[in-house]
Amino acid sequence: MIAIGVDGGREHGLADRYPASNCTDGRDRSQLPHPRPACAGNLGTAAARALTVVTWTLILQSIGFGLVTAAIISIGAMGFTLQFGVTNILNISYGNILTVGAFAALIAQRDHLGLVLTVVAAPLAGALVTFLLARIVFGLFARRHASSFDLIMVTLASSLIIQYSIDAAAQGQEFAFTFPAGRTLHVGPFIFTTLSLALMGTAVVLLALLMSMLHYTRMGKALRALSTDPQLARACGVPMRRILNLTWMVTGALAGLAGLVYVTNNLTVSASGGLDFLVLVVAAALLGGAGSPMGAMIASLVVGISTEVVAAIGGSYYSQAAGLGILAIVLIARPSSRTWGGAQRDEVTV
Amino acid sequence: MSAPFNRAKQASGALTDGEAALLDVVDVRVRYGGVEAVGGASMRIAAPEIVGLIGPNGAGKSSLLAAIGGQAPTAAGRISLGGVEVTKLAAHRRARLGIVRTFQTASVFDRLTVFENLLVAGCGFPGAALTRAIFGGQAQRSLTERAHTHALRVLDELDLQIMRDSYGWELSGGQRRLVEIGRCLMCSPRLMLLDEPMVGVAPHLVKRIGETCQQIRDSGVAIIIVEHALEVIETFCDRVIVMATGQVLDDGTYEDVMKNGSVRDAYLA
Amino acid sequence: MSYYLSTIVVFFGVDLLAAWGLNIQFGWAGVPNFAFIIFQAIGAYSAAVVTLGPDSGANSFQRYILGAQLPFPLPLLVAAGAGGLLALIVGVIATLRLRRDYQAAVFLLVALIASQVVSGDVGLFNGSNGLAAVPQPLAGPLSSLSLGDYQWAYAGFVVVVCVATFGLIRRLGKSGWQRGLRATRDDEAAAGALGLNVAAMRLQVFVLGGAIAGLSGGLLVGFITAWSPGSWGYAETFAILTGIILGGAGNIWGVVLGTFLVQIVFVEVPSFLPEFGYPGLIDKLEWIVIGFMWLAVLVLRPGGIVSERRYRAGATPVRR
Repeated sequence: MIAIGVDGGREHGLADRYPASNCTDGRDRSQLPHPRPACAGNLGTAAARALTVVTWTLILQSIGFGLVTAAIISIGAMGFTLQFGVTNILNISYGNILTVGAFAALIAQRDHLGLVLTVVAAPLAGALVTFLLARIVFGLFARRHASSFDLIMVTLASSLIIQYSIDAAAQGQEFAFTFPAGRTLHVGPFIFTTLSLALMGTAVVLLALLMSMLHYTRMGKALRALSTDPQLARACGVPMRRILNLTWMVTGALAGLAGLVYVTNNLTVSASGGLDFLVLVVAAALLGGAGSPMGAMIASLVVGISTEVVAAIGGSYYSQAAGLGILAIVLIARPSSRTWGGAQRDEVTV
Repeated sequence: MSAPFNRAKQASGALTDGEAALLDVVDVRVRYGGVEAVGGASMRIAAPEIVGLIGPNGAGKSSLLAAIGGQAPTAAGRISLGGVEVTKLAAHRRARLGIVRTFQTASVFDRLTVFENLLVAGCGFPGAALTRAIFGGQAQRSLTERAHTHALRVLDELDLQIMRDSYGWELSGGQRRLVEIGRCLMCSPRLMLLDEPMVGVAPHLVKRIGETCQQIRDSGVAIIIVEHALEVIETFCDRVIVMATGQVLDDGTYEDVMKNGSVRDAYLA
Repeated sequence: MSYYLSTIVVFFGVDLLAAWGLNIQFGWAGVPNFAFIIFQAIGAYSAAVVTLGPDSGANSFQRYILGAQLPFPLPLLVAAGAGGLLALIVGVIATLRLRRDYQAAVFLLVALIASQVVSGDVGLFNGSNGLAAVPQPLAGPLSSLSLGDYQWAYAGFVVVVCVATFGLIRRLGKSGWQRGLRATRDDEAAAGALGLNVAAMRLQVFVLGGAIAGLSGGLLVGFITAWSPGSWGYAETFAILTGIILGGAGNIWGVVLGTFLVQIVFVEVPSFLPEFGYPGLIDKLEWIVIGFMWLAVLVLRPGGIVSERRYRAGATPVRR
């Protein structure tokens, strides 16, 4: 969409432009799914680089980075897979909740609220915004028997609203984010910081918590029943509203936390920064099977390690394309995405 | 009923060659994922008749129908329509050879009017060609004209004139079923597959649909009806095929089949 | 003021073409083509690189493929062809029997992938900096015209193209093909069971829509003489879609109305308001309003302002 001034020149009005910050060529290895566009190269130089630069050490190091990437992706993926498994909505605005979490942490940091509150602010904000969005907006459409397609459009509209609200409030700027990285440790061929080890630990702990909740608590079992068959669950007296509220809040918290975790590695907070990361999160979530946190974790390892290795060999341009490609293939190839034969699950649960 | 559009004439019709049956299903298997829904079912329809397909839930009736209609791939076996093998043909090609069907959930086009629903069926694939849309031409005009006339007649037969300009989503369940059958009539089929057509239909409509089916049979069309309501089967079907756990248990008249002990066991099991 | 009006006419014409292209895919066939903007983009790029002379290698001001210097109106034909060709490839997604929201998500990803590929490979279309200084069509033969008159001449040409496209779409809209498409939109399996080749029909409408999108891109780049990835972010498709949905997706005039309201009225009005906040705030607010507009339309009037006209049978003379 183009707005033009009265002088007849063409200004880019609503044409969405991602802040053209300095590009990255994938060589700064502390960076994650890169939010900045890969530096201009072309396929020829990438291939040449692949043949000359690759060494075993590099690959092993990439695997190490891949573990950290996997941990970061997994937190978001576990939230997404849980949310999608229960509600059957491909929630595009999930990416914006990542941003909300990051900004909440940023604000807490700027207000000097201390490390603990900074860390807690992200999931809290994520849970709150997700809950409000789900109850107010998604619920409105679900009550009108909207299909899963109608809802994806609703989430896309919500995504635009949230993204540009944050962008407007942030005046279009990016912000630097600092987070104590701790000491650097060499574990065999791998290079870790205290922070990255903490991230991996957090991911594992969260996985354990989610698995125990799902399998050993009543709420968790009700949640799994709801994911499998909402109508049957309702008929069996599962407290739908309570479980759904819990789902929205827990998955929103995970999204907010994932957003924070993403910027601890990335060190830049911006309104549009989450999209590349969202692609990897959703890819891992769907690859691992909807509703399965363990599946999400395993898939995160696959996605995280493979994208880091591809980035090391071919540059971040290829790893970003690889992430997009993985998600596209997962979407097409999943058996539940096919409409052929029998009734497909078209209804949403909000 | 005259055919409003050309379709492939059967290579050897049942009239001229006694060997080629109207429908020949030989040892068909249907698999969904790892589950075998139909495990070697065979049936044969030599002349136009109404065949009821019954059996307990999960017997594979709808899957067999889907295999014949082309909605489900045949893992093994052969299906021929009037001597022409259709096993590997896509659903839309089988439709052009004369197979029409209804679906378990009434598949009316919601955002088209009843009349448009019938037109889509009546004009078929030639009427929906892009080249004709751009260039028009006399062939298209006469095709559309014939479809219009035919549609008005079908509306009359099914007593749906009032609903003519209603959208599909504005119809009741029974009316949707009727429109589905009306669509089948528009195509001048050789074989009609009805998947639980009476579900949710008021009793007087059940009678009307049943009688319409008998009229259709009398005009030279074979019909296979999947139904749970045994009264419907008893009243309107010439023959009954019983399925259970993916196999054909019995094949004969209603009385004979009901005397079969294993059939009773299958229902009670 | 005259410059402003002629520019508005050109932009409206281009937006209309794009809206019609997307409408036949989404409104008629129900294909949720969230990658639509890339077809306009390839049209613009193709028209540009066949109008520009060859680039001067790795050190040139801008790098791109081809560089053919074709005279008007060939670049427009190339643009439409490029749009149609890309649509033939991407359209395979439309033929897959996917759940509609998955299909939408895959198209969204295609748009992102396309943006990645173009930004990353500088030799293709000059990467994220894009192309500039595209020669204006007929700059030679019409060089005697003042800038204002040239713009009006261009606007006139755009209007002609729009009228022609309108005629084509109107004719198609009354056809059995369109009715068949709407049937496949409502129930794919049933349409197939009536003999319609759903995959082929979807591919047809996809390619046609892609060609129209490409044409719109060619016209646009000939006017603004520059094109870069910033002009075709994934959200642009959403903006076009908002216009379609607001006006009424099933109705050709509804699309005109909606596109006018969103792309012209809504976008232009803020430029007359006094500047408030900081530079760029209004743009962001516009996107927020677009999002709310979308939600409002879905809730209040999903059929759009001008709904699909109900086909009334009866004593109607047989239409083509």
